[in-house]
Amino acid sequence: MPMTRHGLEQMVTRSEKLSARARLSIYANAYYARLLECLGDSYPVLKRTLGEEAFNAFAFGYLQKYPSRSYTLGKLGERFPEYLAETRPDIDKATSSVIQGTVSWPDFLIDLARLERTIAEVFDGPGIEKTAVLSTEQLGGITPDKWMVVRLRTVPCLRLLAVQYPLNEYYSAVRQSPDESTIPLPTPAESHIAVTRRDYIVRRHDLSHSQYLILNALKEGRTLGDSIASVTDCCDFTDEELESELRQWFKNWICQQFFDSIILPSG
Amino acid sequence: MTISRLGQPNLGLGVGLRSVHFAHILEHWPKVDWFEVISENFMDSQGRPRYVLEQIAERYPIVMHGVSLSIGSTDPLNHDYLRRLKALARDVKPKWVSDHICWTGVAARNTHDLLPIPFTEETLCHVIERVRTVQDFMERPLILENPSSYVEFRGSTMSEWEFVTRLAEETKCGLLLDVNNVYVSGFNHDFDPEQFIKSIPQDRVVQFHLAGHTNYTTHLIDTHDGRVIDPVWELYPLAHRLTGGVSTLLEWDASIPPFPVLHEEVLKAKQFMKRHLPSAKTAKHVAVLTGAEKKGRSDHLGQTALPQPLHYVTADVE
Repeated sequence: MPMTRHGLEQMVTRSEKLSARARLSIYANAYYARLLECLGDSYPVLKRTLGEEAFNAFAFGYLQKYPSRSYTLGKLGERFPEYLAETRPDIDKATSSVIQGTVSWPDFLIDLARLERTIAEVFDGPGIEKTAVLSTEQLGGITPDKWMVVRLRTVPCLRLLAVQYPLNEYYSAVRQSPDESTIPLPTPAESHIAVTRRDYIVRRHDLSHSQYLILNALKEGRTLGDSIASVTDCCDFTDEELESELRQWFKNWICQQFFDSIILPSG
Repeated sequence: MTISRLGQPNLGLGVGLRSVHFAHILEHWPKVDWFEVISENFMDSQGRPRYVLEQIAERYPIVMHGVSLSIGSTDPLNHDYLRRLKALARDVKPKWVSDHICWTGVAARNTHDLLPIPFTEETLCHVIERVRTVQDFMERPLILENPSSYVEFRGSTMSEWEFVTRLAEETKCGLLLDVNNVYVSGFNHDFDPEQFIKSIPQDRVVQFHLAGHTNYTTHLIDTHDGRVIDPVWELYPLAHRLTGGVSTLLEWDASIPPFPVLHEEVLKAKQFMKRHLPSAKTAKHVAVLTGAEKKGRSDHLGQTALPQPLHYVTADVE
């Protein structure tokens, strides 16, 4: 319940130049201004995409629903993608914003927020800068009889995203363009992104659907055999082509430091 | 002149470590005396901020300055936060650990602001008990700073300097005297900043803060977005003389300039240390703006100036 002017002045004194209400409003204004600025810094590409006014409207709603409960501003925006998904306009009613099929502008914003939150978490989360990662030699040392039953443990900073737009390309385009320029919104297209960190810098890598499925299966702790089997039914490669592709994929993933160790089957 | 500082050294002239300067510092290793770091920016970091801090802590004295202890809140102390704070102190080995005489939230919500406390016997007892608890847990004295404030409570029964003095005497904590905050609060609450500085126990002052603020004519806001204005510099020699000189730190948190500009600003303190007290009263600052204040004010017209510190580190992405 709002406090009356009288009640407020019973609690807070006025100064020579400002009323009690005006003095208190310094804190009230600063609360939202500070946190909106912080959320904007947390989601810079989303903010540019929406424009400051629209971004702040979403952020304001978010702060009301999910006020900060942490000592660190690093967690302020952690539920923003979730909030955008929860408050997403009903797709049937949002026909004017439907770009194509069932994928729409809100989906784009939600995916973009997910990407930016993932980047923030990878940037300051656990990394591999001080630990060993899997080498090509170690991978090559797996004997043929063990090849399908080993597990490759993914590094703790590896995050995999399946999104409905070519977001990685859009994210790069926005970051590389001047602040005032407008980047056309991409056409919907399923895409997959690996986000990881090397030398304390966040790295983004585009993945094919098959690559995503294999990496996701490995990340879930499934064996190499099971992980590869997850794509054999859905990709168009012949066995020979798939074998050749897999060699190249794993070579790249080792270079990108996606794995830290081989887990051999017990017994 | 009193020199005690809780036995702490005078580290000289330092600056607040901000992420925009990481690359410059790692490349040039500037001849700055010491760095103050915002504890919350590093206590959970497992990435570049923590890595950079480790590098810097190997070469410079470090002081940890927190913004989320919320020592004045009625919420229970956050022991998870305290454990992380202590772990960071164990790793970084700061000269001391500081925070603010304020509260930052209630009912488990954090405003991320430094909110003022009513200065009463009841709140004093409450804060004394909590400072003792934190000092026991941290196994070191806390160094507590006077924040800038924008409201005063009608229920207060003592001045801010009496509250600060009694808190320091009862808990044996140290004080971080923010000269700019004294000036800002003095303007906002119509008190004499010199009286504040003269009244607190100088032998408990371990550190000074200096910073820029923004003048809105009717009130000042502690924005940390520019150079230290002349009236604040005029107070500095008084604080320096009364304490015998303590570690001095410049904060600059918005519109942050290149590192050499930041460093140059804090080095100005050298010339003010030699100065005698100004003959004219600096306390009753009528709304006559200095050049720097005018610029600061015009830069902020039409937007909300943010009381600082704002402490968010953005990600480095390839």
